[in-house]
Amino acid sequence: MTHQLKDGGQVMHLGMLARVEGEGGMHIEFENGHVKEVKLNIFEPPRFYEGFLRGRKFTEPPDITARICGICPVAYQSASTEAMETICGARTTNAIQEMRRLLYCGEWIESHALHIFMLHAPDFLGYESVLEMAKDLPEVVQMALRLKKAGNDLMTAVGGRAIHPVNVKVGGFYRMPTVAELQRLRPALAQGRDDALAAVDLVAGFDFPDFEQDYTYVALRGDRYPLERGSHVVTTTGLRFPIAEIPDHIREFHVEHSNALHAHFDGEPYFVGPLARYTLNFDQLSPATQEAALRAGLTEECRNPFKSIIVRTVELAYAFEEALRIIDGWHDGHAPSVPVAPRPGEGIGASEAPRGLIWHRYVIDADGIITDAQIVPPTSQNQASIEADLRKAAEQWTDLDDHMLTHRCEEAIRNYDPCISCATHFLDLRVTRS
Amino acid sequence: MSGGRVLVVGLGSPDRGDDAVGAAVAERLAVFGWDGVDVVAREDPTQLVQLWEGHGAALVIDAVMSGRPPGTLHIREVGDSGEPLPTSAFAAAGRGGSHAFGLAGAVELARTLGTLPTHVTVVGVEAKTFDFGPMSPEIQEGLDAAVATAAAELIALREEVQSCA
Repeated sequence: MTHQLKDGGQVMHLGMLARVEGEGGMHIEFENGHVKEVKLNIFEPPRFYEGFLRGRKFTEPPDITARICGICPVAYQSASTEAMETICGARTTNAIQEMRRLLYCGEWIESHALHIFMLHAPDFLGYESVLEMAKDLPEVVQMALRLKKAGNDLMTAVGGRAIHPVNVKVGGFYRMPTVAELQRLRPALAQGRDDALAAVDLVAGFDFPDFEQDYTYVALRGDRYPLERGSHVVTTTGLRFPIAEIPDHIREFHVEHSNALHAHFDGEPYFVGPLARYTLNFDQLSPATQEAALRAGLTEECRNPFKSIIVRTVELAYAFEEALRIIDGWHDGHAPSVPVAPRPGEGIGASEAPRGLIWHRYVIDADGIITDAQIVPPTSQNQASIEADLRKAAEQWTDLDDHMLTHRCEEAIRNYDPCISCATHFLDLRVTRS
Repeated sequence: MSGGRVLVVGLGSPDRGDDAVGAAVAERLAVFGWDGVDVVAREDPTQLVQLWEGHGAALVIDAVMSGRPPGTLHIREVGDSGEPLPTSAFAAAGRGGSHAFGLAGAVELARTLGTLPTHVTVVGVEAKTFDFGPMSPEIQEGLDAAVATAAAELIALREEVQSCA
């Protein structure tokens, strides 16, 4: 909705964003043809997770925090288990880490397949939604559903449920899947890998606007392309520091127009997500996915958020490859978990959710009771970048009519696959009584 | 081929208060051991698009929130012969399911892709809360009525499928 202001200015306000998870809107104010103010309004109610984690046992966050989001529960489980194991000095086995990575592959497959084909592709192909797209391109939608189902089945086999897995605990898993159970998934995963690699070429054929952004990218880095964990955080400004030092760099703060906390990295806005992950870890992709990315016209650095759909598809293919690698190397007989005894302290856990870096910080006492908790999901961290993209989009496409400009701005938001339910897990609530 | 079979789906998250009612009703229906009927519980509506392909009919039990008193039962025929559902409302509200893709979206996508069974009945149970935790007392007390209504719809669907077979 657009209307003229008395001073000749103009306000563009979209009350409810479509094709995003949760409830948000946007507000752009023009003055003399220039953008005066941009706000990503997140009005989904806050959910106070950190508050009710306090007083709970150190073993509970994997189950409690997984409920924050139905799309990326494994990201929460991985970050919280790692934080608790760090505090308690527990060392998990390679087999447990491999199984965590396999579960994480299932989450990436589910999430990326949904966003790429069902939510994002309609923007580039000129459809209002996937329902209209399915009329003209049924084979693409059917492929997307097959890919997503392969992710669901992988999550069910490893996590016990397709959404909100119940098999994860501090120290590992309650039960390891068997070779036979995993091998049953293999045909669908192999097909998924081939379909995803072919889909890279498909999405590379979309039209992309010139829209380069010079953000500071922040992502995990380890001995392989980061999913379930990393050993360090790296940035495109050349920083490299251990996970434990994340709170020294990232500060959360509240802005009036959002129920989700914003965040700054060393005092500046920053960017987490597939583009950051890809740019900072391209060398760790497999040869086939590197080749697919280069064939799609990407270089080792991607700075155009509209091209995130290509990067997500490359990562989708990589997740299928990784799942196959882990399944093919799996043996029965691994202990599902290691014992973890509580000890007092503070610790950080981090993983790469489909939408980017997520980190948790906990403090527990000698009895293993949580005395402080902080959960920082990717969409919160990206709000400033989303607003900067909206500002650039509104400036760049001022000549478009209101309908088209609104659409373009919505696309700029959907580039981030924002998860508003995740972002509003927390808001500091203060009640003043007189 | 499962063309002569009826699929029963209890839809919803077992953790989110009254959203658990779909699975709870499906679980109770499964106890009867119906011939020619497959009973499952699912949390992700997109799975329906493939899940019900090839079935002659489907019965979906899901929680709804329309402002009526908790426990109110809604019955709607949405099969391939029925009118399209207003999917825009689901998407716009962001309440239709994960990433704004809910039951209505699944029905209409299946209609477009040709996987929607000829007969699909949705039994909606008016919910009081989708907060984390157990179902509200009103919904738990009304569970027998929801099961009885769903069973009656299932019998009708099974007869429909068998008469066509």
